[in-house]
Amino acid sequence: MKVSFQIKLFISLVLFFSGLFVLLGVYYYKDVGRQLYQEMSARAKIQAEEIAIIPNLRQSVANKDIRAIAQFMHKVVAHSDASFIVIGDDKGLHLFHSVHSDVVGKTLIGGDNAEVLQGKSTTTIRKGGLGISLRSKAPIFDDTGHVVGIVSVGYLTSYLDTITLGKVINIFIAAVLLLVALFVFSWFFTRSIKKQIFSLEPREIGLLVRQQKAMMESIYEGVIAIDSELRIEVINQAARKLLGLSQPTRALRGQTIAEVIAPVPFFARKVMLENDTHDEICRFNQLTVIASRVRIMLENKLQGWVITFRDRNEIDSLSAQLSQVKRYVDNLRIMRHEQLNRMATLSGLLHMERYDDAIRYIQAQSEHAQELLDFISSHFSSPTLCGLLLGKAARAREKGVELAFDPSCRMDRPSRALGEAELISIIGNLLDNAIEATQRAELPHEPVEVLILQHEHELIIEVADRGVGITPEIREHIFERGITTKRRGDHGIGLYLIANYVAHVGGSIEVSANEPRGTIFSLFIPETGNVLRPVPTLEDQNYAT
Amino acid sequence: MQHELIDVLIVEDEHALAQLHAELIGKHPRLRLVGIASSLADAKIMLDSMQPQLVLLDNYLPDGKGITLISDTQIIRANCSVIFITAASDMDTCSQAIRNGAFDYILKPVSWKRLSQSLERFVQFADQQRVWKIVDQQNVDSLYQLQAKNYRQDNGSKGIEENTLALVQKLFADAAERCFSVDEVVSETGLSKTTTRRYLEHCVEAGFLVVEMQYGKIGHPRRMYRRVAA
Repeated sequence: MKVSFQIKLFISLVLFFSGLFVLLGVYYYKDVGRQLYQEMSARAKIQAEEIAIIPNLRQSVANKDIRAIAQFMHKVVAHSDASFIVIGDDKGLHLFHSVHSDVVGKTLIGGDNAEVLQGKSTTTIRKGGLGISLRSKAPIFDDTGHVVGIVSVGYLTSYLDTITLGKVINIFIAAVLLLVALFVFSWFFTRSIKKQIFSLEPREIGLLVRQQKAMMESIYEGVIAIDSELRIEVINQAARKLLGLSQPTRALRGQTIAEVIAPVPFFARKVMLENDTHDEICRFNQLTVIASRVRIMLENKLQGWVITFRDRNEIDSLSAQLSQVKRYVDNLRIMRHEQLNRMATLSGLLHMERYDDAIRYIQAQSEHAQELLDFISSHFSSPTLCGLLLGKAARAREKGVELAFDPSCRMDRPSRALGEAELISIIGNLLDNAIEATQRAELPHEPVEVLILQHEHELIIEVADRGVGITPEIREHIFERGITTKRRGDHGIGLYLIANYVAHVGGSIEVSANEPRGTIFSLFIPETGNVLRPVPTLEDQNYAT
Repeated sequence: MQHELIDVLIVEDEHALAQLHAELIGKHPRLRLVGIASSLADAKIMLDSMQPQLVLLDNYLPDGKGITLISDTQIIRANCSVIFITAASDMDTCSQAIRNGAFDYILKPVSWKRLSQSLERFVQFADQQRVWKIVDQQNVDSLYQLQAKNYRQDNGSKGIEENTLALVQKLFADAAERCFSVDEVVSETGLSKTTTRRYLEHCVEAGFLVVEMQYGKIGHPRRMYRRVAA
């Protein structure tokens, strides 16, 4: 069973203090006993010595006048708290005993009289006739200085212990009261602690701290927490990286935000007090960021703010991706819609038992594309060129422009003058230009006519569009580098490249205006080039009809 | 010899469609169906075990794209041809298939006539290949070029009409020594520029006209057409 932190704290407090009290009590008890013994032995000694110098008594003892002694001693005993007072003679025989008068004449018990008879006072604890006692013995001298007797004043230990116990009981009562006070105090103390730490266990607190740190560092966004004095409390790795701060987190903590980020309205105190912001674009140290700011309130008091921000470029690329995805989704939706329409048409035709129509309708779906595919793959031998033309045709179709291939198109062998890469580059550029020009013209968009025809002596490439045409002011310069009519893309390098390739192999380019609008590019590339080779007859046979 | 059967593997995940393909192959006296694979993984296993000479390959399969099989070493090693089948909206993949040397490419929805023609052509191709192999090993190379050639729907079609051709030729016959530019021919005949260019170039190829380059002061040289001196 798990004991909560509060209970644990309470128990440990109580145990600790109880232990402390016990130790104190034991020590005190011992000490009190010791002190009592000392005090009592001193008392016994003084009494014994004082009794020993009483002249009457000395006289009586010297004379061994038992009656006189008893008479006198009874008065003394009445005034003393001693357990017993005994007088003995120089032979060690009782002359008087305060408790047992019947021992008079008998030997003193204890056997510690020799020293006293030599004239010394002693204090001892011995078992006497009454039990264990603390006694002090003093010698009685006569006028000549001879020892004539002994005074023994004794306190029984049982009597002493009774006194000690009384004291200890008092102490114990005090201790119990203290313990109760301690209980109450501990209880309230632990409860207040518990309140302050939201009933969390210390282990949990440690975990929370570690979690917070890990969380802060794993966030991709920059996070800065500042207190109400605008001093940084927390700043994560990402924030330091984005802001280009080289100093460690420890060094940054406690600095004001203005020391770290050049002042911007975003961090103006007044603005910050008024409202929170979400995804505001601003500049932190030359970096354009998208930042959010939230006030932290605790018990209706402003504790500070948390600022999160991220690089705007990332957001831009994200939003670009998103819009692409959206476009894609739109396309899919349109396609799905078309597909449903087709299904509806088809089911209608089937319901009306117009099976031939249904078949024709289905065939029509792929017919055009299949025809184009078959046309291209049967009229051009180069797979790369086929791929390019198919790709361009598909792309153009997506843009709402049709590529119309002239039926006389034919290219059965690689160009003798141009490399494949150059040919692809030329045709690709011409088609791109034509498609774009068509797109920019008003609707309806006329198809782009394409002729790629390989004769024995020449390769003719002609691309004719009915697009926006070329403006007169750049007509003379279209083949120069950097001239472009496009809004985006290759920045006027396409035609420059084409002109270069064609000029290199001794070909020619004609550019003319199409009717009613648009442009025709006609390229003539010599096939017999500089290298005149006889055409192998076998090849002719292969490609003949 | 001539009646050796050609093993065909169908790779198509749409069961009904695969069955239709199978039926079509079953009807053909020279083709033998060796299996139907409904995923890329199955297709690879079957290619290995069946060693077919022809694969009808659909592009969209549950575990990947059929196009990846075309360049697969197994297909290349097994000397197996591919008739590639894909959706009409997927022309890009088609051009890839062409570059990878598929025997034929058919768009969905499949036209049965078209598929039958394709199969028929493959049978001829295979027979021819066998004949070539026997006759002359050297000619195999040139035959391989036929593999990438699709059948030509209308080989003679050049888009040249007799009447129009006569009209153009008459113009030059009437002015034997004169050089015409395309624009001049256009204004004389009333044809469109592109059409005019077709006929003029046709005449050049046929040896009726010659080209002369005219170098002007500005711009590029112009291409002029003149009647060949008789």
